[in-house]
Amino acid sequence: MAAARRLKRVAASQPGFLTLKSNSTDLLSGRRKRVNKNKKKSWNKHSDINDVEEFLNDIRHQERTTGGLLAEKSDDSLFFLDVGQPLNDAQRDKPVEEEPVERKKRKGRVSRPLRIDLILQQDSLIPPPKDVLAYQQPNAKKLRRSAQRLEQLAAKGVVPRKQRQLLNRRPVERTTLKAVTEANNNPNRDYYDIWGQELKDLADPWYLQQTCKKRVQRPERLNEKPSTLPAVEVIAPGGSYNPEFFSHQALLKAAHEVEVVKQKEEDKIKRQLAVNKEDTATMETIFHEELEGLVEEEKEEEEELKDEEDVAVGAIVLAQKKTEKQRKKERALKIKEQRRMANRRMNNRQQQLFQLRSIKASIKQQDQKTKVNQIRRKAKQEAEKSQPRRLGKLKFQPQDMEVQLSGELAESLRQLKPEGSILKDRFKSLQKRNLIEPRERAKFKRRHKLKYVEKRAFKEIT
Amino acid sequence: MGGLQKKKFESGAATNYITRNRARKKLQLSLPDFRRLCILKGIYPHEPKHKKKVNKGSTAPRTFYLLKDIRFLLHEPIVGKFREYKIFVRKLKKAYGKTEWSAVERLKENKPTYKLDHIVKERYPSFIDALRDIDDALCMCFLFSTFARTGKCHVQTIQLCRRLTVEWMNYVITSRALRKVFISIKGIYYQAEVMGQPITWLVPYQFAHDHPTDVDYRVMATFTELYTTLLGFVNFRLYLSLNLLYPPKLDIKSESELKEEDEDDYAMGSESYLEKLSALSASLARVVTSTEEEEAQIDLFPTEDENMEMMEEKEKEKKLLEAQMKIFEGLKFFLNREVPRESLAFIIRCFGGEVSWDKSVSIGSTYEMMDETITHHIVDRPNVDKRYINRYYIQPQWVYDCVNAKMLVPVEDYFIGVTLPPHLSPFVEEREGDYVPPEKLKILALQRGESSGQQQPEEEEEEEEEEEEEDEEEEDNDEEDQVEENKLKKMEEQRSQGKSLQVKVTPGKVKMENPVRLEQEEKAEEKRLAIMMMKKKEKYLYDKIMFGKKRKVREANKLAAKRKAHDDAEKAKKKKSRK
Repeated sequence: MAAARRLKRVAASQPGFLTLKSNSTDLLSGRRKRVNKNKKKSWNKHSDINDVEEFLNDIRHQERTTGGLLAEKSDDSLFFLDVGQPLNDAQRDKPVEEEPVERKKRKGRVSRPLRIDLILQQDSLIPPPKDVLAYQQPNAKKLRRSAQRLEQLAAKGVVPRKQRQLLNRRPVERTTLKAVTEANNNPNRDYYDIWGQELKDLADPWYLQQTCKKRVQRPERLNEKPSTLPAVEVIAPGGSYNPEFFSHQALLKAAHEVEVVKQKEEDKIKRQLAVNKEDTATMETIFHEELEGLVEEEKEEEEELKDEEDVAVGAIVLAQKKTEKQRKKERALKIKEQRRMANRRMNNRQQQLFQLRSIKASIKQQDQKTKVNQIRRKAKQEAEKSQPRRLGKLKFQPQDMEVQLSGELAESLRQLKPEGSILKDRFKSLQKRNLIEPRERAKFKRRHKLKYVEKRAFKEIT
Repeated sequence: MGGLQKKKFESGAATNYITRNRARKKLQLSLPDFRRLCILKGIYPHEPKHKKKVNKGSTAPRTFYLLKDIRFLLHEPIVGKFREYKIFVRKLKKAYGKTEWSAVERLKENKPTYKLDHIVKERYPSFIDALRDIDDALCMCFLFSTFARTGKCHVQTIQLCRRLTVEWMNYVITSRALRKVFISIKGIYYQAEVMGQPITWLVPYQFAHDHPTDVDYRVMATFTELYTTLLGFVNFRLYLSLNLLYPPKLDIKSESELKEEDEDDYAMGSESYLEKLSALSASLARVVTSTEEEEAQIDLFPTEDENMEMMEEKEKEKKLLEAQMKIFEGLKFFLNREVPRESLAFIIRCFGGEVSWDKSVSIGSTYEMMDETITHHIVDRPNVDKRYINRYYIQPQWVYDCVNAKMLVPVEDYFIGVTLPPHLSPFVEEREGDYVPPEKLKILALQRGESSGQQQPEEEEEEEEEEEEEDEEEEDNDEEDQVEENKLKKMEEQRSQGKSLQVKVTPGKVKMENPVRLEQEEKAEEKRLAIMMMKKKEKYLYDKIMFGKKRKVREANKLAAKRKAHDDAEKAKKKKSRK
């Protein structure tokens, strides 16, 4: 090693040696720093080896890039004489006829590498450094294991998840249409005689019941309708498209009464919300308010003081103890009163014997009263059966009556303009008959506030 | 001394009820599913008598269900299906999110579905029960069948509803069950009598929908789901009872008649059959084709005289009804294109008429407008270009009024350009003493077989009114009341008309003893005595009743007078306009 280095140094010192980097650094000018050189450490520290390093770097560079020292290479390998493309005589004479030949030649040329490629070819003497990682496998054990598992699964016939996902993304091409599971609203569904066939259960009913194979019987109570109203309420005769005069008037009157009730309610609310004119502030009241507490302060204070004194006097309560004599007297009085009352009661009872007739009469009266009440209550219950009940948060709101004013009536069936919506009518009928509870449509609630941002394109314009 | 202290709300009303939310949690269903289940099973919320007790002291408004009802719901197999469906939706969403189309396909194929057959059977244990509840189903199906296919509800539901309503109409035509029709501003009310049950339904006008926003479509769709199942089974049973083929088939004869046209213009092959059925112009095929109608005759058993009378009366009624069912028999109608085709075709066919329309209006027309045998041409426009002499050109209301009058109403009032008489509601039943519009009186007179021209003065009508009232009186038991009442009425009438009682002196006549009259007088005397002998309380009640009756009569008379004044005013106006 040392010998080779020396040799190289020798070669470099020779006048014919070429460096790749032309600008070699100049020697340090100025005063030399004095240092001890009696120790190897200080040698290493203070001696300037830049030039040597540079030289060696240069050599390494040359070896790496050009494949050996340039100085040792022959001139032929470094330079060539460019004389241009040699022209063929035959080519110059008949360029059209000789085309196939040319093609052949080209084919031959293809086998020879291009000059560019040759130049770019690596001719370094230094082999490329070995990639250690290329020979190592991280988690080799783990990978090996997973591969083994995959093999095992494949042997079992299980497709790995990734592959499955890929397969799933692919749209299936179905060759045969499967029988469609019949939906409830299939327009071509078939019906059968549901009331005709009576299934005879051969098995023990007890067994069927215990094993949940028999349906639970519907309670009889559920077959009662929650309201006595008919399913379809026919509109009043005034609702005809070509109504009789009086029935139409009657219908209009009914609709009018409904409107009047509504109007009254609205008016009531308005009245309640109205501002009392006396409550509004005028200049006078404002002035008084501002003066409050400024005038006649002293008088009021005096009055207050007086009040306080009165209260103090009245607060004293005398609590005197009863004497023994008083107590005795009270007790005697109480006993006497009790006796008197008992006597009176006895007397009364005896007297009642002679009042039998009037007592009987009063009892009869009471009975009658209860009877009347019973009848009234029953009638009320009957009436309630046809009324919409309160089934939830909201009360039932009847829909607006369908009415056409005399001017709106159609002259012929062709010109008839239908009034109201039957869908709504049916819906309200269901509510009226207590089949569903009246409900408001759920309101849309925004969770987060909306944020307004001006788009950039828009911003530029404005 | 007393044992343990009783806790509040652990017995009685509080334990009989359950709030909606608790019920929902008990069934492990979402609120929409719970609502659906309740509708399908026919379990409705209940208003408790003592809300505060049931609500455990709170007065907050809540929806309550009976606890026993909810317990009953727990056994329903559909609940499981609802849960399955929830999971199905979740899986489907996931598959969509992952763009796994094969999974989507697979899931859609195995979509959990349920049937409502067992619920129908459970809720309506017998056929008659179902028939009593069919009103709602019919209304809903007719309503849904007119919806546009715009996604407000499932297209399949609309198709199914259409199919079921067409089947129902065909049944009504074949069984001649229609009784009343009423054209209102809302829609058309029909009433049919099926197996002794009056069935009313409401059909919306075509293209009349604006979808209201405050209606819960989900709830309505759920009701429809149940009702389509119910109506399907009822239809099947009804077809069975008439010996018709159930998925209805057109008669071979009529089918061949219809086939001549090119069907492809109207509908696709799959739909054309339903369209032809819904044209209602052809009769249906029977299981056993029979040329002559089998007339079921009531077996006559020789019984006592009273029964015989009853039987005779019944037979009479039956014959009358049969005659009423054939009022259009032998008539040939042609519908112009501006009249409501389906409704008119349905009614005309119900009463035995033949009907056709222009080929371009709809499928299923049977003859052309040029046909010479057409008797009635229904038109709803001011004038017609080309008229045939041998047919009536009438407005559509004539057909409806004929049905309600149960006879052929004179055609003159319904010609083109004539102001139509009012269309009266057949659903109103006037009680004794109520005001009856003169148009109805006219019809009643016609029904009784009296011919009444237009020139008849109003007084005759009044007489008719009296007659009618008298007719009704005969049915009543206490005739004595009526005699007195009649007198009163006459007095009232005369007073209302402002006539003074006529006083005249006439030469005397020998009065013949009339035994009938004597008897009547005797009866009247008895009655007067009875009134005199009444107790104070009874007398009071009697007076009250009589007063009420008088008042009613007075009111009716007042209305009649008003009407007369109105008519007179109208006449005067017309005369003026003519001049």
